[in-house]
Amino acid sequence: MSDFIKHPVVSLPDRAPEPVFSKKELVFTEAEKEQIETFRAQYPTPESAVMKTLWLAQEKFGFLPPEVIRLAADTLGIPFSLAYGVATFYTQYYKAQQGKYVLDVCTCFSCQLCGGYDMVRYLEEKLDIREGETTEDGLFTIQGVECLGACGTAPMLQVTNGPYVHNLSREKLDALIDALKAGKKPPFVSVTLPQDEDDLGGNRRSDAEATEVGQTPPAAETFE
Amino acid sequence: MEMALFGDNGSGKTDAWRSYERVLLPPVRDLHRFDTYVGHGGYEALRAVLTREEWTPGKVIEATKASGLRGRGGAGFPTGLKWSFMPPVEPGKPRYIACNGDESEPGTFKDRQLMEYNPHLVFEGILIAAWAMQIDATYLYVRGEYADWIRHMESELAMLYDKGYAGKRILGTDFSSDIVIHKGAGAYICGEETSLLESVEGKRAYPRIKPPFPAQKGLWGCPTTVNNVETLACAPLIINRGAEWFAGVGAEKHPGPVLYGISGHVERPGVYEYPTGMLITDLIEKVAGGVRGGKKLKAIVPGGASVPVLRADMIEGVTMDAESLREAGSMMGTAGMLVMDEDTDMVKFLRRVTRFYHHESCGQCTPCREGTGWIENLVTRIDEGQGTLRDLDILLELCDQMEGRTVCALADAAAWPVRNTIQRFREEFEAKCRQSIYAVA
Repeated sequence: MSDFIKHPVVSLPDRAPEPVFSKKELVFTEAEKEQIETFRAQYPTPESAVMKTLWLAQEKFGFLPPEVIRLAADTLGIPFSLAYGVATFYTQYYKAQQGKYVLDVCTCFSCQLCGGYDMVRYLEEKLDIREGETTEDGLFTIQGVECLGACGTAPMLQVTNGPYVHNLSREKLDALIDALKAGKKPPFVSVTLPQDEDDLGGNRRSDAEATEVGQTPPAAETFE
Repeated sequence: MEMALFGDNGSGKTDAWRSYERVLLPPVRDLHRFDTYVGHGGYEALRAVLTREEWTPGKVIEATKASGLRGRGGAGFPTGLKWSFMPPVEPGKPRYIACNGDESEPGTFKDRQLMEYNPHLVFEGILIAAWAMQIDATYLYVRGEYADWIRHMESELAMLYDKGYAGKRILGTDFSSDIVIHKGAGAYICGEETSLLESVEGKRAYPRIKPPFPAQKGLWGCPTTVNNVETLACAPLIINRGAEWFAGVGAEKHPGPVLYGISGHVERPGVYEYPTGMLITDLIEKVAGGVRGGKKLKAIVPGGASVPVLRADMIEGVTMDAESLREAGSMMGTAGMLVMDEDTDMVKFLRRVTRFYHHESCGQCTPCREGTGWIENLVTRIDEGQGTLRDLDILLELCDQMEGRTVCALADAAAWPVRNTIQRFREEFEAKCRQSIYAVA
């Protein structure tokens, strides 16, 4: 095969891997079951609650191996195949164990033009792993992701489907990694509109301590 | 807060925009809180439509039609007209709104700011639309990446239920309507209206064949209307200030306030609220502080990844509304504008765009699933100095084979930037092909 074909079309998953979680671990608590009941009540059919239930399962177990998907499906009383189809379609459901902190660096074109790939390369060098890999201590995974909807504060990243970190620079990444190593997740940051800078003292929300406004982006060095 | 009149229609061409007072994101601290929102006249429009006799559902739809409001999600379809497609109420058959806050179009980040700073305007708009179409429940679809914003909105929504502004017997009237926030999980395709419906139903988000349109068979086979969050946020403004006022803001055929998201190589990127019909040159030079570092402008993408790119020499006198942009050879899209300076490598830019579509194609239709992959491979090959001039023609032919041949418009959206970037920057692509190791041809 020529090196022209860079993207293999299909890689088939192992359909019956060894379970990661034991039968004893595979239970929802009463509170979680109650939560799932409220999800069910929000929709006319139990199938519709599958996305929220998978989110809950992922928060509990960290990722979604087949046995966890089966647990979610059984709890809702829907076929395993439906839940498995959904879990494998959406990218934010992790099918494999990830690092404690997944650094989703946006590399879509607004960020690409403003240094998104520079940030990925810097993280790779700093953590000594490649994009898509996890550090040996299990702390960090780096992923280049598609547009996260924060183009005005590019380059930016998201920490494990949670808080956004805006206006990245190498210094800011150093600080972020140190903070995460110390167990401190970044806070919710409010992005102030440039039109507000004069009026509201630069912040519209008194419940958000940290604020950012789009800064003049750096010149990108790498583009892929 | 009296609106500074925006003068005659289409006056985005003058400097009148400087005195524009914001209505979608007015400068009020903590407006995202229920109390602050109500303190600033919030939910008065909802109270009016539910309690005043003149606001029958039909009248609300008429007013929305008269306002000229067009969808802010990309396609720009007239909102009032869309609402009027809903069939008459049938006992025992629920009716739904699916509110699209998926916002995954690259270069678009305005809905997030709306949900962050003025979520109650969205809720109020949803409830007004719910009254107009006699809706039983609204599913507000928000992309999974916006976990923080979903959390904030859920607590505000709980407050709304507590105070009797949503749910059963809203504001003590006979009207009941629910709002449920549905959290996505990372799939661009969910922004397409029918795949959004599939996703709310808890399935893989494969788009559906139309017809039947959502108004006939939407969520769970029932009548459904799909609107963008910014579109619905305009509904309270139309009720409060009148359809005539709304129609008088900005461009004549595409009126209203709009959130412009300006990103890329500008001094002050961010979301700005101004009327439609602003000059593109004004937005870049006067609003966003000009191109970064005093560099020259090379190109812009006016409304998200899928709309055609415009060269700097094509934007003179062009305004941000559907008509003017169509004449210029592009589209309004989501008004998320990407600005590129003179140093930008358009081949690398296109390579990244094609990678995006390859990654996000849902895989349902062959022309799109295979086509996006081949396009990416070809553009990558050209960028890496292994392309031939013939590849450019193959790329354009591939676009022909994809456009209009799939269930949804993702294939078209993937083909347009390829076609237009190659046509409008052909010399750059040819130069890379000529330098390649296979330069003959």
